[in-house]
Amino acid sequence: METTVAVVAEHRLGLVNPVTYEAIACALEILRIRPSRLVTITIGEDSEEAGRQIAAKTGSQVLALKVPGLEEFNGDAYRTILAGLLAELEPAWVCIPGTSQGLDFSPGLAVRLGQCCISNVERVVERDGEPAFARSLFNGKIVAELSSLIAKTLLMVQPGAFSAVFTGSHSPGVVETRTIEWKSTHIRSLGFRIAQSADSALAEASVIVSAGRGVGSKENLDLVRRVASLFSKSTIAGSRPLCDLGWLPYQLQVGQTGATVTPDLYLACGISGAQQHLAGMGGSKFIVAVNTDPNAAIFNVADVGVVDDLEGFLSDLLEESNACSHK
Amino acid sequence: MRILVCVKQLLEPETPLCIDESGRWVNISQTTPRQMNRFDEYALEQALVIREQTPDTTVDAISAGPESCSTVVRRALGMGADHGIHLLTGDQGYVSPIRTASCIALAARSRKYDLILAGVMSEDMAQGLVGPMVAEMLSLPCATSCIFVRVELAKASVYVEREIEGGRRQALELDLPALVSIQSGINKPRYPSLSNIMRANRQKLEVISTVAAEPSRSCEDLLHLSYPRKTRAGVLLEGTRKDKARQLLRVFRERSLLH
Repeated sequence: METTVAVVAEHRLGLVNPVTYEAIACALEILRIRPSRLVTITIGEDSEEAGRQIAAKTGSQVLALKVPGLEEFNGDAYRTILAGLLAELEPAWVCIPGTSQGLDFSPGLAVRLGQCCISNVERVVERDGEPAFARSLFNGKIVAELSSLIAKTLLMVQPGAFSAVFTGSHSPGVVETRTIEWKSTHIRSLGFRIAQSADSALAEASVIVSAGRGVGSKENLDLVRRVASLFSKSTIAGSRPLCDLGWLPYQLQVGQTGATVTPDLYLACGISGAQQHLAGMGGSKFIVAVNTDPNAAIFNVADVGVVDDLEGFLSDLLEESNACSHK
Repeated sequence: MRILVCVKQLLEPETPLCIDESGRWVNISQTTPRQMNRFDEYALEQALVIREQTPDTTVDAISAGPESCSTVVRRALGMGADHGIHLLTGDQGYVSPIRTASCIALAARSRKYDLILAGVMSEDMAQGLVGPMVAEMLSLPCATSCIFVRVELAKASVYVEREIEGGRRQALELDLPALVSIQSGINKPRYPSLSNIMRANRQKLEVISTVAAEPSRSCEDLLHLSYPRKTRAGVLLEGTRKDKARQLLRVFRERSLLH
């Protein structure tokens, strides 16, 4: 029997979240190693509408599970519905976007189905003719390759790690619709609210000077601000750990749980470079990293790196810049 | 109510790491400094806040791991947990999250907790799997990445707000007992108090050996470790600090980022 690779799409109110296409890109890499049938699953009120878009863009066959009343993600619903469907489809691999949604329902689903579960997959590699999966450990300082010891595996795909390029040279995939009844039990959705949207300065800036916990003290943020003010159209920003300390508002947070930015220059000051941060700034046009730790993962994604004491280096940078402008 | 908080011990994030001879783990000596997973500090703090607001509440802290993990359980007591449980494993190297979850679920099952809290992920592995896996093993409703938690005892439920992408929050109501994983920034974790540290040092930890009763299934195999490859040039500037500052300014000007 032909093996199946499934993708669980992420969509809301008829709009497909682009991470879905990254998960499909991951699935296609598995297909290169192990030719299989590809099926993308959409779930909810809007499953047909979302499914049609995915089928047209990627050519993937789509199974749209129409669930009356399920307008928004509900972990309980996803686990229950997918447990039934995956037991029937028996996919060898299921690729799920590693978002707050995927990370919510997948681990429990894997336990329920007795399947292997690997999160934050960044790359698919071939080992002994089988796909294995690379992910970061220790704040990006180490890469681990993991393989499944059992026949079925749920993969959560790290957002930003796979590039989703789909050309138009395919016919749209077939969309099959099924209607499934589901009633909420122990988890009740009470809607959504906007907590803090990203500061518009982040999207508008061509230079972002960003601080991590390595800045050491709140006072040193003043140096970061002064460096930012050397540039026109600039702003400061921060990593999540810095915002958690209360040193900057979350509106200025860059990363998977904050804003995604692509400035002309991203100057990372005292940022370790964990995957969660890279997901928000990896697409910047030019990246400069300053860190005391020569092994910090941020240097692997930087165009230019400076290993030095942050406070001292930023002070010298300001001083030298002044010296030049007075010549 | 009875609350359980799952805490993990990890190496200090700044620890230099070196892949060992097996190629499957990193060299870790007994003296390598360790600390509590930052996300678990938020989970524990949240449990302590709930205890302050809810009469007759006790907070247990649990950690699975080798001998050295007893210090992270003591740290939890120092922060204010009432009771510490150390699931003593003989594990070295990579531990499958399903194994850690099985150990915790086994210990938690008979103790009838109303609420189990866990950090959203660990800083070192960043998997985010153990908490929701424990929930499934105990058939508990589960919400992850919560940035607001309010217990509503009269309704036997917990109201949570999950932090999701794009600055949005998803509001949910879960029936108790439930498992909630906590996102960082939900509160300001307290430092251990002197009186609690003294109590923690006197107090006996409950040590449960999981070696005999060990649910040993692992679903994945860690094939090998490597250092990350560079995805960009990563040119390191050299010279004195002032030299490097001047070079960087030159780079900025060449790229027309500065005038």
